[in-house]
Amino acid sequence: MRKLALRNLLRNKLRTTLTIASLMFALLLLSLLMAFLDLLASTAGSSDNRIIVRSAISLATLLPESYWQQVESLPHVEAATPLNWFQGVYKDERPENFFPRFAADPATLFKVYPELHISPEELQAWAADRRGFVAGKALVQKYGWKVGDAIFIKGDIYPVDLNLVLRGIFTQPKTPDQEKVLYFQRQYLEEGIGKRGLIGTYVLRIDSPANEVAVRKAAEAKFENSDFQVRAETEKAFQLSFAEMLGNVKLLFTVIGLAAVISIFFITANTMAMAARERTAEVGVLKTLGFARGQLLRLVLAESLAVGVLGAALGCGLCAVLMPVVGALLAKMMPVFGTLRMSGGNWATGLAIGVGIGLLSGLGPAVSAARLRIVDAVRRVA
Amino acid sequence: MTNVVDVQDVVKTYRRDDFLIKVLQGVNLQVAAGDFVALQGPSGSGKSTLLNLLAGIDRPTSGAVRVAGQDIGRLSESDLALWRRRHIGFIFQFYNLIPVLTAFENVELPLTLTRLSRAQRKLKAETALGVVGLTDRMHHFPRQLSGGQEQRVAIARAIVTDPTLLLADEPTGDLDAKSAEDVLDLLVELNRQFAKTIVMVTHDPRAAERARTLVHLEKGQLATAA
Repeated sequence: MRKLALRNLLRNKLRTTLTIASLMFALLLLSLLMAFLDLLASTAGSSDNRIIVRSAISLATLLPESYWQQVESLPHVEAATPLNWFQGVYKDERPENFFPRFAADPATLFKVYPELHISPEELQAWAADRRGFVAGKALVQKYGWKVGDAIFIKGDIYPVDLNLVLRGIFTQPKTPDQEKVLYFQRQYLEEGIGKRGLIGTYVLRIDSPANEVAVRKAAEAKFENSDFQVRAETEKAFQLSFAEMLGNVKLLFTVIGLAAVISIFFITANTMAMAARERTAEVGVLKTLGFARGQLLRLVLAESLAVGVLGAALGCGLCAVLMPVVGALLAKMMPVFGTLRMSGGNWATGLAIGVGIGLLSGLGPAVSAARLRIVDAVRRVA
Repeated sequence: MTNVVDVQDVVKTYRRDDFLIKVLQGVNLQVAAGDFVALQGPSGSGKSTLLNLLAGIDRPTSGAVRVAGQDIGRLSESDLALWRRRHIGFIFQFYNLIPVLTAFENVELPLTLTRLSRAQRKLKAETALGVVGLTDRMHHFPRQLSGGQEQRVAIARAIVTDPTLLLADEPTGDLDAKSAEDVLDLLVELNRQFAKTIVMVTHDPRAAERARTLVHLEKGQLATAA
């Protein structure tokens, strides 16, 4: 039986190869999309006990500074710190010179991000220098900076240029992406733009992830009737929505992935139907020899399953090989993509889709073969 | 001598569009063990239908078909498949070998449905191929064989399980005269030396002459028996 299924699979090598190749590329695309979604949903350094409070209108809309104390005093909130996304241009606009730059508050930043380690002396030095900045070790090493070095960042979103001096280096060996960030004093930004008290986001550290829903609801309710309504979300959700500023990335990725899977299902189903139709007389012969319905069902399903699993395995495998390369290329634009990898979950999902496509596409022809009357099958040939 | 085949008042009708076609009209037929019956008749006389009923690949509209002591009209689909494995060897006009399997693998195929070990299957398949004189061609694929050789492989496949009844549907219909003669010699040898009971449908009078018994079907009814 196995031998026959295998030989049937190789009977029309071109057709089988093309079908497996179609499946492979569909699964490659799907695995890449899933990996992107995973990355966006669980960006390194995001935490379950941090909540981001931002304007309900958009990320570009700023919030009053007066909210700071109010969110900090919410139940279960242990610390709150303001952050403004500065962006800007360092050296030039090449993607490899892009890294996240935030205007931050030295006094509270490391209370909200306790996993970032900085010496008290360096933290004090930063707090004491209005033009000071701190950066992660990975970023410092990349540019060869030393404490005391001055750098220049040209403003783009904000109409102000920054002349900064490195005052401290923080580390986070577990999540190197968190070491690829620069923080400078928010007072320096406010002075530069000539406006005070405007905050991009508030980051809250809460006592337990279990209280995340309560804190988010409390924060949104608190400013429900104000001029600046807020949206509160977990750090993970925020990072995903941040990426979605480019468009509804998640929906787009999901639609593309589904379209690929559905189209490949129909291609495979068509191939299997053609293959089964060509072998109608053989099915009649096998039944005459004494093959039972269940055996014929399994024979056809084994073939379609092999196509599905082989295509999926090759697609996932190719994706696993390409992922670090794609990640390295994209990391030049956004460092976070440097961690792009094929996860065990992606493998499992890809293979499960392959099994599903294999079984579903073979089911119709398999049932037809099992039900086929021998006299009808043989008559078609005679 | 016991009857391997006992057909009683068999009627077979087909519905084609609005028409009811009566293919067999109360056929009675007995085939004794070890007999070699040639079933003759013009096209549409119902001989292939009768053969299909004997093989259990079609069911009578009424009447009883007993083969090897079993009323096969009463068997379920799955029981009928098991019954065919044990009792029927079928030879088609167009050989109907599985093109992706070698001659050996085609002959071995019915044995894969049994509990025989691989070694036992190999021995039986090689023996069957030896009987039809194709030991040297056992690793050839059907496309590498002549029509006569293909039919001999099909005969080997039909006899490999040592079935109670061998059924042949126009076994020489697609062969040249020499190959047809070889196949008929083989069937005669199987009947005489191995006591195989054979029912063969044929148009060819020369083929029919090689059988022990001639049965003539005319318009769905048994016309003569010799």
